[in-house]
Amino acid sequence: MSIKAFTLVSAVERELLMGDKDRINIECVECCGKNLYVGTNDCFVYHFLLEEKSLPTGTATFTATKQLHRHLGFKKPVSELRAASALNRLLVLCDNSITLVNMKNLEPIPTGARIKGAVTFALNENPVSGDPFCVEVCIISVKRRTIQMFMVYEDRVQIVKEVSTPEQPFAVAVDGHFLCLALTTQYIILNYNTGLSQDLFPYCSEEKRPIVKRIGRQEFLLAGPGGLGMFATVAGISQRAPVHWSENVIGAAICFPYVIALDDEFITVHSMLDQQQKQTLPFKEGHILQDFEGRVVVATSKGVYILVPLPLEKQIQDLLASHRVEEALVLAKGARRNIPKEKFQVMYRRILQQAGFIQFAQLQFLEAKELFRSGQLDVRELISLYPFLLPTSSSFTRSHPPLHEYADLNQLTQGDQEKMAQCKRFLMSYLNEVRGTDGPNGYKEDIDTALLKLYAETNQDSLLDLLVTENFCLLTDSAAWLEKHKKYFALGLLYHYNNQDAAALQLWVNIVNGDIHDSTRSDLYEYVVDFLTYCLDQELVWKYADWVLQKSEEVGVQVFTKRPVDEQQNSFNTDDVINCLKKYPKALVSYLEHLVIDRRLQKEAYHTHLALLYLEEVLQQRPSANGKGAEAATTQAKLRSLLQKSDLYRVHLLIDKIQGTGLHMESAILHGKLEEHDKALHILVHELKDFSAAKDYCLWSSEGRDHPYRQRLFHMLLTIYLSAGPSDCELVVATVDLLNHHATEFDAAQVLQLLPDTWSVQLLCPFLMGAMRHSIHTKRMTQVALGLAKSENVIYRCDKMKLKGNSVWLSDKKLCQMCQNPFCEPVFVRYPNGGLVHTHCAASRHTNPNSPSPGNRT
Amino acid sequence: MKKPDVKIVLLGDMNVGKTSLLHRYMERRFQDTVSTVGGAFYLKQWRSYNISIWDTAGREQFHGLGSMYCRGAAAIILTYDVNHLQSLLELEDRFLGLTDTASTDCLFAIVGNKVDLSEDQEKDEVSSEQASSSCVSTKVPKQVKLEDAVALYKKILKYKMLDEKDVPAAEKMCFETSAKTGYNVDHLFETLFDMVVPVILRQRAEGPPQTVDISDYKQPKQAKSGCCA
Ligand SMILES: Nc1nc2c(ncn2[C@@H]2O[C@H](COP(=O)(O)OP(=O)(O)OP(=O)(O)O)[C@@H](O)[C@H]2O)c(=O)[nH]1
Ligand SMILES: [Mg+2]
Repeated sequence: MSIKAFTLVSAVERELLMGDKDRINIECVECCGKNLYVGTNDCFVYHFLLEEKSLPTGTATFTATKQLHRHLGFKKPVSELRAASALNRLLVLCDNSITLVNMKNLEPIPTGARIKGAVTFALNENPVSGDPFCVEVCIISVKRRTIQMFMVYEDRVQIVKEVSTPEQPFAVAVDGHFLCLALTTQYIILNYNTGLSQDLFPYCSEEKRPIVKRIGRQEFLLAGPGGLGMFATVAGISQRAPVHWSENVIGAAICFPYVIALDDEFITVHSMLDQQQKQTLPFKEGHILQDFEGRVVVATSKGVYILVPLPLEKQIQDLLASHRVEEALVLAKGARRNIPKEKFQVMYRRILQQAGFIQFAQLQFLEAKELFRSGQLDVRELISLYPFLLPTSSSFTRSHPPLHEYADLNQLTQGDQEKMAQCKRFLMSYLNEVRGTDGPNGYKEDIDTALLKLYAETNQDSLLDLLVTENFCLLTDSAAWLEKHKKYFALGLLYHYNNQDAAALQLWVNIVNGDIHDSTRSDLYEYVVDFLTYCLDQELVWKYADWVLQKSEEVGVQVFTKRPVDEQQNSFNTDDVINCLKKYPKALVSYLEHLVIDRRLQKEAYHTHLALLYLEEVLQQRPSANGKGAEAATTQAKLRSLLQKSDLYRVHLLIDKIQGTGLHMESAILHGKLEEHDKALHILVHELKDFSAAKDYCLWSSEGRDHPYRQRLFHMLLTIYLSAGPSDCELVVATVDLLNHHATEFDAAQVLQLLPDTWSVQLLCPFLMGAMRHSIHTKRMTQVALGLAKSENVIYRCDKMKLKGNSVWLSDKKLCQMCQNPFCEPVFVRYPNGGLVHTHCAASRHTNPNSPSPGNRT
Repeated sequence: MKKPDVKIVLLGDMNVGKTSLLHRYMERRFQDTVSTVGGAFYLKQWRSYNISIWDTAGREQFHGLGSMYCRGAAAIILTYDVNHLQSLLELEDRFLGLTDTASTDCLFAIVGNKVDLSEDQEKDEVSSEQASSSCVSTKVPKQVKLEDAVALYKKILKYKMLDEKDVPAAEKMCFETSAKTGYNVDHLFETLFDMVVPVILRQRAEGPPQTVDISDYKQPKQAKSGCCA
C-alpha cells in the first residue's frame, strides 16, 4: 500500500563543498530558515543560502549558494551544529566543546563563552525559563553518568543543573523538565527538576545505536527492539502503536503525519496515523536524517539532500485515485491541524464527496450516504449520474475537476440491470431524506423532479404521496415523463398541483371512461366526485355534473350536497342545481333533502317540492308493497317526518293530492297543520283506529305550545272517545288508559263532569290520584311563592326605613367636598358615603373627569 | 486522534491468539494473522467512552516493551492456549511481572483461547457456528482446565496482595474462548468494558485522566522472582 509522500531532491552538491578533495566528509548539518550549515571532518563550517523553486510540474527544487566557510581552529571534526536564531548564534560541538559563533559571519563570539566537556547535546524545544533570549542546552558530559543543563545567552553560558544517571547515557532529548535518555540498557524519562525517573523499556545502547527524538509536546520517538519505532510520552505511556523499521535504522525524523527513517540503503516513510509503511526511497550511504521546522534533510558524507513533501492534497488525491478511501480520509483528517481551517474544510468536504462516489460505485450505499451527507454534497452531482433525471431547465453543471470518473450510471454499472435498480433505490431513499432536511442543498425543483421520475419509472406508490404534498416538481418535465410512463392519474395530480384542474379532470374522466388506461385507482369515479365536491371552479363542476350523475345519481349528487358549507352559501344557485337535477329524480330528492333537512332552508318551494316527491314515491311504491316493503316504509317515514316538522309546505295542495289515497296518518298530520285537530284526531281514532298515534298526536302537535293548548288537545281527544258512547268497548279502554296515563294533561274538574257516572272510582284511581297530587302540589307551591314574596317585601321596607332614618345637617361650616366652598342654598347632593356637594358640582363631575371624585375621599 | 478514556492490554505468549481475539471482536472475522511486531492498538467506542485496547507481541524479543504498554492499564487480559500448558505457565513466569506498572486497581482476566480445537468442551458451551466444524477428527483433549486458570487467578491476587473479597470472583474473570468460532469473545470483552466504566468515572471525578504522576514511581518489584510461594 504505497503512496508517494516525498520526493528526494539534491540541495548541496559535492563540488560545492569539497571539490575533488576526497577525504573531506560531512559530519553534521543544521538548517534554520533559509540558512543551511554544514560541518565537516576537517573542522570547517559552511554556510549556504537555500533557494526553493517550484518547477512547473509542481515539484520543488533547491539551489544552495555558498555564503562563506570558516575553519574553527581545531584538528577535530565538527560533530554537531545547532542554530539559536533568537540569539543569532550557532552552537558548534567540536572536540568535546560547544562554542558559540555568529550565525552570519561564523566568527567566534568575543567573550569566548563555551561549554566544555560535552559528548553530545540537545536543545530544549519546550523551554522552561520563558526568556526568549536564552536557549536551554542539555549535554551528556564527558564525566561518567552525568547530564548537565545550561542556559545559553548571546555571549555567556551558565550551568543550571547537573544530574547523575544510574547508567551511562548515550543519547538525549529534552522537553520541558523532562529528559528522555538512552542509557546503557534501557530508555528512561528523567525529570531533572525533581530527579525522579521512569523506566520506558530495555534497550542495549552499546549493541545498537539508540535514537531519541522529540516529536511533539511531551512525546518522544525511540528506536526499540526488532527495528521498532516506539512512541512514548513523558508519563511513560505509549499512545501510538509502534512503527516497524528495519533492524539497522540510523536516524529518524518527523514530518507530519509521517515518521521517516533512514538505514544504509533506504529512506522509509511510515504514517503515524495507521502505522503503515507508505513509501520507500532507495538512498545509499546516508548517515544523517534530521527535520528542521518541518524541513527534512538527509545527508551522505558527501552531499546534502532534501525530502520535499508532496502537498497533502495531492497525496490524498492519489489515494482516492486508487480507491483507497479509508487511508485518504485518515490522512485528510490527520492534516486538519496543519491546514488553515477554512481551506481545510473546503478540501475535506471535497474529499468526502469523492470518497462517497467511490463507495457509491462499489454499491456501498450506506457508506456513500454517510460520506455524501458529511461532505455536504450538492445532490445534483449524484442526480446527474442518472440519465435524464435532472430537469432540462436545470442550470447544473458538474463540479470541476470532477468528483468521480463516471459519465453516467450506465457506464458505472456497465449495463447491469440489477445494479442499476439498486442505484435507483438508493437515490430514491437518499433524495427522500435530503428533501426532509433544509440543509444547504436546496435545489428543490431538481430534487423533486428527479424523485418524481424515479418513482414513476419504478412504480412506487410514493409518487402519489409526493404529488399530493408540497412539492417542487417542474411541470413540463414531469408531465412528459409521467405521460411516457402512462401515469395518467398521477399526471392529473400534477396538473391539479399546478392549478390546472380542467386538464386534471379531463384526464381522470378519460381514465374512468376507459379511453386511456391507468389502474392506479379502482375508485377513480368516487375520487372525481370528491374532487369536484371540493373544486372551487363552478364551471368545472357544471361541466362534469351530467357526467357524474349519469354514472350514479346517488354518488354524483354529492358534488352539490357535500360541498363545504361556507363555500356553498355564496356560490351555487340552488334553483340552477334543481333545474339541472330534473332529469335525475333520485339525485333531486337527495338534493332537496340536503336543502331542507341539512341546511334548513326556509323556502316553501323546496319543502313543498320535497313533500310532493316523497308522496309520489310512496304512492308509486304502494302497489307493489310486498317487494319493496322496507324502502316504502322508509320513504313514508321520511314523508311523515317532513310533514310533521316543516311548517313551510303548502298544506292545501298536499291535502288535495293525498285525498282518497288512504294515507290516513299523513292526512291527519296535514289537518293538524291547519289547526284542524278535531279532524285530524277523528281520522286517527275512527279511520286509523290507532289510539296511541292519537295520543302521540296530542303530544307532538302541542310541542312548543303552552299548557292550555295541550290541555285543549287532550280534552278534544277525550271528547271524541266519549262521544262514541259506552257501547264501544275499545274506546272505553282507550279513554281510561288516556286518563290514567296522562292525568296531568287534563283539567280534572272538567273531566269529572264529562265522565259517565257509572264508571267506578277504582277504574280511574290512577287518574284521580294523579290529579289530586297535582292539585295539592300546585297549592303548596303557590303558598311557598307567596311567603317568599312577602318576606322580600319586608326586606325592602327595612332598607327604605334605614335610608330615611338619618338626617343631614347642613351649616355654614360644611364645605362642598368638590369645590370646597360653603353651601349657600339648602339644596345639595349627597353621595352614598355621606359626602355632600353642590348640585352643580355633582353635575360637572360627570363632565370633567379631572376633578376629584368625592366618592373616593374620606 | 480521540483520547482514550481507559486502557486494556492483552498479554500472553506468542501464538496463543491475542491478535485473533481482538480481530474477531473488532472486525467480526477470523483471519490469518502474522506474529505481532511490537504492538498495535484499537480504539473501541463503548457507550460514551473510548477504550483503547492494546495488542502486544508475545515474542520474547519484545518482552521488554510489556511494562510500558501495561503502564496505567485499567484491565489486563492474560491469554493462554488451552491446548498448550506451557502458555499458561508462561503467564505466571514471564508476563505477570509486566503488570506491575498497571494501575493499582487494575482488573485481571485470564483467557484460555482456541477451545475449538479440543474435544472435551461441555455440550452447552458449544457455539452453534462451530458445531458442524470439519475438524472434529483432529480434536484433542484440552491440556489446561478452567480450574487451572482459576488457580492462577487466585495466585495473582496473592501476588498483588489483594483480598478476594475486594475483586471480582475468579469464576467471573476466567474465560474460555475461541477466536476462530467467536465463542465467548464478545462476552469476554464486554464484561471487561462494563467493569472498567466505573474506573473511568472515578478517574474523571479525580481529575485529568492519562497523567501519571511519576513522583509515584517505586523501584520495580523483582518480576522474575514471580509469585511461586
Ligand atoms: N483453531 C484456532 N486457531 C486460532 C485461534 N486463535 C488464533 N488461532 C491461530 O493461532 C495462530 C496465532 O494467532 P495470533 O492471533 O497471531 O497469536 P498472537 O497471540 O497474536 O501471537 P503474537 O502476536 O506472536 O504474540 C494463528 O495461526 C491463528 O490463526 C482459535 O481460537 N482457534
Ligand atoms: Mg499477535
